[in-house]
Amino acid sequence: MDLLKDYLFTLIVFLIPIMYSIQPLLLPKISTVKTSNSKDILRRKKIVLYRQIKELEMEYDIGNLDKEDFINRRSELKTEVSEIITELKKK
Amino acid sequence: MTPIAGSVALNLAFGCSILSIITLFFYNRTADHRLFLTGQRLGLAVSFFVFIATFVLSYQLLISNFDIDYVARYTSFETPTIYKISALWAGQSGSLLFWLFILSIFNTITIIQNQSKHHTLMPWVIITMSVTQGFFLILTNFITNPFEPTQTDFIVENGNGLNPLLQNVTMAIHPPMLYLGYVGFTVPFAFAFSALVNKDTGVLWIRSIRRWTLVTWLFLSIGIILGGWWAYQELGWGGYWAWDPVENASFMPWLTATAFLHSIIIQEKKDMLRIWNMVLIILTFSLCIFGTFLTRSGVMSSVHSFTESSLGPVFLIFVFIILICSFGLMYFRIEDLRSPRKIESVTSRESGFLFNNLIFVVICFAVFWGTLFPVISEAITGNKISVGPPFFNQINIPIGLALLALTGIGPLLAWKGTSNQKLIQKFTFPTLLFLLSAVAFTFFKMTGYVVISFSLCVFVFAAIFSEFLKGIQARTSKFGESTLLAFYKMIHKNRSRYGGYIVHLGIVLMFIGFTGHAFDKEKEFGIKVGEFEKVANYNFQLTRMFEEERPNHYAWISDLRVTDNNGNFITNLRPEKRVYFHRNPDVNKRQPHSELDIFSTLNKDIYSIFSSVSNDNNTAFIKIMVNPLVKWVWIGGYLLAFGTVIALWPRKD
Amino acid sequence: MNNKIYSLVTGVVVVILFWIGWVSLNPADKKAMAQFISVKDLIDENISKRTKLGGLVKNGSIEISEANQLDCIFILKEGENELAVNYNKTRPDLFKDGAEVIVTGEYLNGVFYADELQTKCASRYEGDLRNESNYNLEEIDT
Repeated sequence: MDLLKDYLFTLIVFLIPIMYSIQPLLLPKISTVKTSNSKDILRRKKIVLYRQIKELEMEYDIGNLDKEDFINRRSELKTEVSEIITELKKK
Repeated sequence: MTPIAGSVALNLAFGCSILSIITLFFYNRTADHRLFLTGQRLGLAVSFFVFIATFVLSYQLLISNFDIDYVARYTSFETPTIYKISALWAGQSGSLLFWLFILSIFNTITIIQNQSKHHTLMPWVIITMSVTQGFFLILTNFITNPFEPTQTDFIVENGNGLNPLLQNVTMAIHPPMLYLGYVGFTVPFAFAFSALVNKDTGVLWIRSIRRWTLVTWLFLSIGIILGGWWAYQELGWGGYWAWDPVENASFMPWLTATAFLHSIIIQEKKDMLRIWNMVLIILTFSLCIFGTFLTRSGVMSSVHSFTESSLGPVFLIFVFIILICSFGLMYFRIEDLRSPRKIESVTSRESGFLFNNLIFVVICFAVFWGTLFPVISEAITGNKISVGPPFFNQINIPIGLALLALTGIGPLLAWKGTSNQKLIQKFTFPTLLFLLSAVAFTFFKMTGYVVISFSLCVFVFAAIFSEFLKGIQARTSKFGESTLLAFYKMIHKNRSRYGGYIVHLGIVLMFIGFTGHAFDKEKEFGIKVGEFEKVANYNFQLTRMFEEERPNHYAWISDLRVTDNNGNFITNLRPEKRVYFHRNPDVNKRQPHSELDIFSTLNKDIYSIFSSVSNDNNTAFIKIMVNPLVKWVWIGGYLLAFGTVIALWPRKD
Repeated sequence: MNNKIYSLVTGVVVVILFWIGWVSLNPADKKAMAQFISVKDLIDENISKRTKLGGLVKNGSIEISEANQLDCIFILKEGENELAVNYNKTRPDLFKDGAEVIVTGEYLNGVFYADELQTKCASRYEGDLRNESNYNLEEIDT
């Protein structure tokens, strides 16, 4: 009985992870991966950019940024965001 | 579950780590996605097998299976359960398995978290982590195996047991905390290395690991502070930091990691300091491995070192491989690492960060130099010379104070450059306070570094305060919020920044605590019941001395009544001298232990140790230390942790 | 990085390296440095400057002064070589016969006057597991 338990244990604990690892090799070849959810990536980028704009405004308000720098950088970021929004609208 | 399962698990883990590396290598060449999946799953399998091995060892410890050498060495039937568990990291082979265990947890989290993102970076991230796991698997499989059976020709009835000195909660938590820190830097390093390989050293890898780095940094910080706190509370020499090689081993990666944490802010915002960031993370990871090496091998004479074994050279080889591969790869990727932008002015925030990096690295070098001084001096002069705390303090205090100053100056600087007008506007208030404090402290008869340190603390405090104030003012004028609401919202919307400022405040408090060290006073004396002794501005009277037999030890207790110069009662101290296993017939197995008593206030700690009793039991030998401001170190530590938690608090996007 | 910053950085690095070198050669506190040396070499060469020795406490050699219990003398044993050591501060808990110690101080007229005494950390539990008598036979439960 103990021997059976040991064998079962060995099977489950040791063989299964190895089988799980090898399994993908038995599938047909996948050469391209859906460059996953590019929509998600764009959305994430948009959020990051919004955050950066907000932070820029804050830095300017507390005096860590001079006006010229602030205006330039903000327009840069805003351009990026509008580009992303256009892309997202297409999808 | 036999112990063999543990050994086999370790073997399989090692095999899988090699297979994982090979598979991912081929994936990079063929772009066959199946190979990526297999490589990724093999990476997870390595972790899985390590988990099995760890659970097996933990189980053997819990059931006290003394057929295993490790169990017999570090536990006995009587060891309380919690310490049977903590015995997992008490010894060399167990602690290496524990390192692997934590790395495997982080490995699993990293792989699962990134399942759908970062396809380009992940293969090499997994390869790097597998190589690191592989290294520790080589150690635990072939050099120091925790499942080694007991080598005796009799049946081991009961184990050696864990020394009672180690049976306290802090000692149980301190190693895991530190390990969480040491091991954690494997992940940012893996991403950095992958970024180098993939010629993608821009913002992507930084964004992937920023939070992870902060969490790891927090663990390392807590681990270091806990170690100091434990030394202070338990070991009885009245200090919390001795510049011991093993202490230094944890401090060095902390220094480069802190620089890294700051420096990646610049890369995220301005895409500068790419090379610095690479260098810093490589150094941090290497120092973590090196630190593990210093702690585990007998290379440096330290109160922490274990038996010398063949571990030492293997660790060193691994560190060299890391350094050579990483810096070598950096050399070949130097074009990719050149930042498009340049630092334009000395009085810019960017410049502040640059000097911040520089000073941290320099302190790290100074500590490294002092720690390895015996090795260096022997190589040069033939004499092995060790250096003690006075050496480290003399070198590091001025540099540390420069860093403290920078903590105040940095946040006041503007991006790209600060105009003269702005400089005056921002710096006048803190600088004035600095000068006034310096005068005030000198007036109170303080001198030299103490005056500078306290005055700088005031300076930094003023600088941080003014930053908070400006933030609140910006919100109240823009949004019409009340001060309190503005304060809350400001922090809420800028958790990294203000969390960081709170951490800086914590550091200021710690510096206040460190500076108190300059005023430490101590005295050792013999005293009879009824007699008085004066130390610093306090009077100590031994009111009673008695003995007590307790379940697992024998105690001599002294009651000390403490009063100040005016006769006002301050406190009663009750230091004890204990002997554990006092009934053991073998005198050498009896374990003496001083249970010290500390009276702690914000102002000072009064620290008492009962050293010994005279043979006629009439005279107690007591050591008293009056340590000002120590409590501020621990308060600062709490604030540091609190600030970090705020910075880490997740946003609900 | 503009030239001004570059030269400032270089300047800082040079100053600090110089500072480290300076302190290494002229430490302000005499307790900053001690030379690791073997007992044999210490006695042979009669070195009087600050040194650091390691060894075991010879069994039965610990003598504590009657008048001042803080003052003690013991024999430090390193291999075959022995040396009398005097230490007059609070002794660490692990200090006893056979303990591994590191002492730092000065050697004068055949006696080593130590002002620092360290014992090895308790996390390494001594005891040869092959010897049955090393097992706790009489531990009392809490």
